[in-house]
Amino acid sequence: MKRIIISHEARQLFRSGAFRALLLMVAGAVAFAAWSGQRSIDRQVEGANAAIAFEDGRRGKMRADTEQYQAQVAAEGGEYQFASAQHAPGAGPPQGTNAGVVGSTTAKYLRMPPTGLAPFSIGQSDIQLSYVPVSMNPTMYITKDNELENPVNLMTGSFDIAFVVIFLLPIFILAISYDLLSSEKERGTLAMILAHPISLRELMASKIIARAGVLLAGVLVLGIVALLAVGTNLDLADTWARFGLWMAATLLYALFWFAMSVLVNVYGKNSAANGIALAGTWLALVVVVPTLVSLLATTLYPAPSRMELTTAARQAQTEAESTYMARLSEYYYDHLEFVPEGDERAMDFLTVAMANRNAIEKAVRPLYDEFQSQLNLQESLVQRFQFISPAIMMQLALNEISGTSADRYEHFLNQAYDFRVEWSEFFTVKFLQRAPLRPQDYDQLPAFEYREEPFATVLMRLVPSLLGMLVLLTGAILIPFLRLRRYQVATS
Amino acid sequence: MIASIARKEFSEIVRDGRFKWTAGIMALLLLTALAAGYQKYSAYMDIQRMSQDQTNAQWLNQGDKNPHAGAHYGNYAFKPAGPLAFFDNGINNYAGTALFMEAHKQNFAIGRPATDQSSIGRFGDLSGAMILQLLMPLLIIFLGFTAFSGERESGTLRQVLSMGVSNRQLLWGKALGIGGVVLLIVGLCVLAGGLALSLTGPSTESESLGARATLMALSYVLYGGIFLFLTLAVSAWAKNARTALMVLIGFWAFAGFLAPKAAVEISKAIHPTPAFGKWMADMRSHQMRGFDGVPPFVRFEQESREIFAEYGAESIAELPVYVGALRLQKFEEYDFPVFEQHYGQLRDSYTNQRRLQDRIGIVAPTLPLRSLSMALAGTDLIRHVNFADAAEAYRRDMVLKVNNYLGEAAASLNTGYGGGNVLIADEAIFAMVPPFRFDSRGLQATLAEHAGNFIALMLWLAAALGLALWSVQRLKVEED
Repeated sequence: MKRIIISHEARQLFRSGAFRALLLMVAGAVAFAAWSGQRSIDRQVEGANAAIAFEDGRRGKMRADTEQYQAQVAAEGGEYQFASAQHAPGAGPPQGTNAGVVGSTTAKYLRMPPTGLAPFSIGQSDIQLSYVPVSMNPTMYITKDNELENPVNLMTGSFDIAFVVIFLLPIFILAISYDLLSSEKERGTLAMILAHPISLRELMASKIIARAGVLLAGVLVLGIVALLAVGTNLDLADTWARFGLWMAATLLYALFWFAMSVLVNVYGKNSAANGIALAGTWLALVVVVPTLVSLLATTLYPAPSRMELTTAARQAQTEAESTYMARLSEYYYDHLEFVPEGDERAMDFLTVAMANRNAIEKAVRPLYDEFQSQLNLQESLVQRFQFISPAIMMQLALNEISGTSADRYEHFLNQAYDFRVEWSEFFTVKFLQRAPLRPQDYDQLPAFEYREEPFATVLMRLVPSLLGMLVLLTGAILIPFLRLRRYQVATS
Repeated sequence: MIASIARKEFSEIVRDGRFKWTAGIMALLLLTALAAGYQKYSAYMDIQRMSQDQTNAQWLNQGDKNPHAGAHYGNYAFKPAGPLAFFDNGINNYAGTALFMEAHKQNFAIGRPATDQSSIGRFGDLSGAMILQLLMPLLIIFLGFTAFSGERESGTLRQVLSMGVSNRQLLWGKALGIGGVVLLIVGLCVLAGGLALSLTGPSTESESLGARATLMALSYVLYGGIFLFLTLAVSAWAKNARTALMVLIGFWAFAGFLAPKAAVEISKAIHPTPAFGKWMADMRSHQMRGFDGVPPFVRFEQESREIFAEYGAESIAELPVYVGALRLQKFEEYDFPVFEQHYGQLRDSYTNQRRLQDRIGIVAPTLPLRSLSMALAGTDLIRHVNFADAAEAYRRDMVLKVNNYLGEAAASLNTGYGGGNVLIADEAIFAMVPPFRFDSRGLQATLAEHAGNFIALMLWLAAALGLALWSVQRLKVEED
C-alpha cells in the first residue's frame, strides 16, 4: 500500500506542470549559481596571478640588474658594491644590491589556494583577499587592501550555490509540500484514502518520501553536475570528501524543511493558513533571525572603529618620528634621492626608517589584536546562537566545507604573519651588515607554501552545525509524529 | 460605499487575532531596527567627527619637518555616514571609512566594517529599510490575498456584488482598508522613530533632511501600493486563496531575494569589476612606464627646457624656484592621468553595474526602491564616489601647496646645495592647508541621477493598478 502511494505521489508530481516548472527553476538557479561562483573564483585566481607576477617581476628586474652589474664588475675589475638607497636612477651599483631597498619596495604575494569546492560558497572571499603582500612593512600592511568589488554588489551578496540551497531550496520544498494533508482534506479525499489499510502516519511518510526522494535525487544530480562543471582538483580525495559533506549538510537541511511542512500540516488548518505559517517560518529562520544574531554580535562585541585605529596609528608614528629622528633625518626620510651619492648617512636614513616602522608596528599591534579578538568573540557568539536558525548553521557549515570560512582565513593569515618575520629577517640582516645582494642571493629568498589545515580540524568545526541540524530535524519529525494521532480527517 | 467597504475590511483585519501577532512582531522588529540603527549611527558619527578633528590637529602638530615630508605624513578623510543612515545603512558596511591623502599616491578608502564582522553579517543588516523592503510586502500579501478569493470561497462575494456594489468600488474599498492597516502599523513605528530622533536631535547639519524624509516616505508608499494592488489583482484572478498566496509569495521571493542577486551577477558579467591584483599591477606598471610610455624621470629631463622656460630660466642655476620641489610637483602631475584612467575605469564599472541593476528593476520593484532609498539616505555609491573625489581634490591641493611653498622658500638650494641647508616647516606653514571637509553634492543631483528609479516605481504602480482593475473586471463570483 505504501509503495503504491509513493509511486502514485511521485507520478502525480511529475505530471503536475507546477512541479516540473519548479524543478526546472531549481536546475536553472543551480546552473546560474555555478556559473557565477566560477566567475568569482576565476577572478580571484586572476588577481592573485597578476599581483604575484607584478611583484616577482619587479624583483626579477632587480636581480637582472645585479647580474649585469656582476658581469660588469667581473669584466672591468673592482669590487661588487652595496648601493645607497635612491629614488632617482643614477650611476653606480644598481639598487638591487641593497637588501633594504629590495625588501621594503617590493612585496611577496602569498596566496591561499581555493579548495575544490570554493565556487559553491563564496563566503567573505569577495571582500577578503585570498592573496596578501608581505614585505618589510609592518604587519598591518598585510591586510590593508581589500578586493575591489562594487560595495553595492557586496551588500547584495553572491548568487552562489550556498544561496540556492539556503534561501531557495526551502521555498521550493515548502511549495510542493505545504498542502500535504490539507489539500486532500479540503478535497475530501483524505477520509477515502484512510478507509484503506493505511495509517495517517504511513500516508504522511509516503507523501514526504515521494517528494523528498524526487527533489533530493534532483539535487544530487545537480550537485554532481555542478561539481564536474566548476569544481577543481577533482582528482583529490579532499574535494570528494568535501562534496560528501556538502551533500550530507544539504540533505539534513532539506529534510528539516520537509519536516516543517509536516509539522504545520498536522495542526489541521487549511492550505492557505499552512502557507502563511510556513512562509512566516521561512522568513523568520532564514532572514530575520540571522540578522538579529548578527546585530547581537556586533552590539555585544563591537569591533573598535577603524577610524580610531587610524588616528592612533598616526599618533604612534608622530611619536616614533620625534624620538628617532633628527630634523635632518626627517627630511631625508621620504626622499633618499637627496642624499649625495656614497654618503654614509643614506644608510642611516633607511635604518632610521626601519627602526621607525618597528616602533609603529609595536605601538599599533595591540590595537590590531583587539580587532581580531573582538572578531573572534563575535564568531564564538554566532557559533553559540547558530542553533536557533538552521540557515545560520547551514551557512557556517557550507563556508567551512567550501574553505571560505573565517577560521580557514585566520589560519592563512597566521601563516602570513609568521612568514613576514622570516621574510623581513632575510633582508634586515643583509641590510644592516651592508652586505651587497648578489644574483644568487635572490635564489635563496624564503619560499612560502600554504599549509592546508588537517581535514580532521575542518570536520571538528563542522560537528556543531551538523549536529545542531540533526537535533532540530529530529525534533521537527518527532512532534508531528506524536501529534498525528489527534488529526481530524474530515472538516467538521 | 467605498468608505464602508474600507471600514469593514479594516475592522475585520484588526479584530483578527492573527493580526495582533503579525502587527506586534512587525512593530517590534521595526522599532528594534530603528533603535539599533540610530545607536550605531550616532556612535559612528561621534567617532567620525572626533577622528576628523584629531587628524586635522595631527597634521598641524606633526612636528617640524620638511614641507614635502609633511605631505608624506598626509591627512585622513573620514566619511560621514549620510543623513538618514540610521534608517538605511546602504553600502556603508561595505565601503571604506578612512581615506589616506598623501603625496604621490591616490588611495582607496579603507576600513570596511564588513571585514570586522562575523561572516553571518552577510545575511544583511536589520534596518528600517530592510524591514520595509522585505517584510512590509509580505505583510500586505498576508492581509490581502483572501480579499477576493476568500470571499468567493465563503460565498459572500455574490452577496456583496448583488447589493449593487461595482467591482471597482470593491477594489478601492479593499485597497483602502488594507492599506490603512499597513499604514497604521508602519506609520506609527516610523512616527515614533522620527519623534525620538527629533527629540534627541539629529546631529548632522540637516542636508535637507526634511525633503529627504518626505521623498523617502513617498517612495515606500509607492512601493507598498505596488504590492497592495498586485495582491488584490492576484486575489481576484486566482482560482482560490491558496493559489493566490503561492503566486504572491513566489513573486515576493523573486523580487526581494532572487532578482537583486541575479541582477548583481548579470551586471558583473556584462561590466566586470577588475580583480584587485590585476588592477593594482596594471596601474602601477602604467605609472612606472609613464602615461604616454615615457617614464617620469626621462620625461622630466626631456621637458626640462620648456619647464625652465616657463620661469624665464635656461638652467637650474637661473631658476627662481627650487628644482627639487618643481620636479616633485611635475612627477605628481604626470601621475594624474594614470590615476584618472585606472580609478576612472573602476568607477565606471561600478556606475555601469549600478545603472544596469536599476534597469533590471523593470522586472522587480525592490531594485529601484532599494537604490532610491540608499540615495535618499545618503548611503549610496554616488555619495561614496563623491567622497573619494573630494578627498582626491583635497590631496592634490595639499601636495601642490606644500610643493609650491618648498619651491619658493628653498630657491637658494639650487646653487648652494650642501649639508645643513635644509628647509624646515612648522605648524604655521602646515596651517596653509585647510582642514578636510566633505560637502556632499546636494539632493538635486541625487534626484537627477535617480529619476529613472522614481519612474520605474510609478510604472510598477500603474501596472499593478491596471492589473487589479483588469482582474476585478473579469472577477468570477463562483468557484468553478
